[in-house]
Amino acid sequence: MIILHLIMLLVSSILGLFFAYMAITEKDLLKAIGFSAGQSVAYSLIFYILMAPDVLLAYIAVSVGVYTALLVFTVSKTTRYEED
Amino acid sequence: MNITMVLILSIYGIVRKPNLVKKLIALTILGDTANMFVIFIGYRLIYPVIPPVLPIIDQNRLIEFLEQAVDPLPQALVLTAVVIGLAVNCLIAFAIIQMYRLYGTVDVRKIFEKVFPEERV
Amino acid sequence: MISLRILVFLIMFSSIIFSSIILTILDIFPPQKDVRPLGKYYLNYSYFEHGNITRTAKSPEAVTAIVWDYRGLDTLFETTVFFLAVMGGLTLFRVEKADLSKTRIKYIGMTMIVKQATKILAVLIIAVSASIALHGHLTPGGGFQGGTALAIAPLLVLAAYSKYILEEHGLTYLKAILIRSISLSMIWIVVLMPALNGYNLMQNQPFYPGEIFNQLISGSLFFYNLLEYLAIGMGFTAVFLYLSIPEKIYLEELRSIESEKG
Repeated sequence: MIILHLIMLLVSSILGLFFAYMAITEKDLLKAIGFSAGQSVAYSLIFYILMAPDVLLAYIAVSVGVYTALLVFTVSKTTRYEED
Repeated sequence: MNITMVLILSIYGIVRKPNLVKKLIALTILGDTANMFVIFIGYRLIYPVIPPVLPIIDQNRLIEFLEQAVDPLPQALVLTAVVIGLAVNCLIAFAIIQMYRLYGTVDVRKIFEKVFPEERV
Repeated sequence: MISLRILVFLIMFSSIIFSSIILTILDIFPPQKDVRPLGKYYLNYSYFEHGNITRTAKSPEAVTAIVWDYRGLDTLFETTVFFLAVMGGLTLFRVEKADLSKTRIKYIGMTMIVKQATKILAVLIIAVSASIALHGHLTPGGGFQGGTALAIAPLLVLAAYSKYILEEHGLTYLKAILIRSISLSMIWIVVLMPALNGYNLMQNQPFYPGEIFNQLISGSLFFYNLLEYLAIGMGFTAVFLYLSIPEKIYLEELRSIESEKG
């Protein structure tokens, strides 16, 4: 049964790495914000498997709620596409 | 392994990308990965493992609670770290909006040319 | 056909799998099977009194007891740092009252399906966040988690309807900042009250009651959770209200200052 926990941990970490990589090398800033929110969901799965429910509630409300809204406000007041 | 790779990626993103908003996104990823590393230290690899919350208030069950629960101290310290990271990132986002109003661009190289117009790197 | 980004990602993925297999076979960093002694002390004495400890935090949730009772001064100053950050942000977005009432853009909002769904969801979010915050001494949760969840409800109404609907129904800038400041000063009062009556600063157990009408309250932890919930929720609401002022007002002000100078 401990193998099940470890396999879920492995899948969530690979998903987190994938979303973080796509967020950093993306030219359209709104898509990068979407990938950053996906990375936060993968990280909160990892927090649940590591048995930390307090940190999970704080982290998901902050990262998917507040950071996404704040960054979308910032992008709407500045430019959208990144220059070369 | 995975944590090391994401740390290296986010530091690369902070140093090499010239857009200010992309630097902020990479900074948030760096903070979250550092918090995950701290919680990963407080885990124990046994089978029936429970979070540090007493399920049934009964003093006879205290011994088996102690043998199955996870360390509560790193989680308390990470809660404080999340809030302080949030405060710093909020202030940086406000500063980026103000810099766009004053200089007209969010690209670091162009801001450098406007502030020091006679230097050539 | 495969772009450069996917290729670099596949190289990183295979190197991670390869290195982790090598580390597991060589058994270099084995994971631990026992808790450190300091964590064991906190787990042991957070609710029951046995041995020679006569005063505990009286809450079955070890993480909340550490955050607000054993290491309470850390959390107190973290809340103050957050207050200062929001205050610094609000200074940048300051605008005169006359300019604010001059521009009111006529904004219809999103379609009807979104509006109906938002009506149900906003009330649900307020109820769930209050439950997370007020049961912080019994289940995982607490003041900060409930506070950030409370900030999402006005954000939804602001996105689906417009900002002016919120102001017409009573949630103005002044009210949000006022509730936030009053909650923070009441947290400081709850901290200082045991010191004025002869106990230590921020002391929980003998001064505040452990149970009220046979319900477990854990002394001052309940009051800390409630006040922090209100302070953080209203702080974020004030930030979002100020951020959604249209950008024309600030640009006009900057142009007028520049034309005065030059």
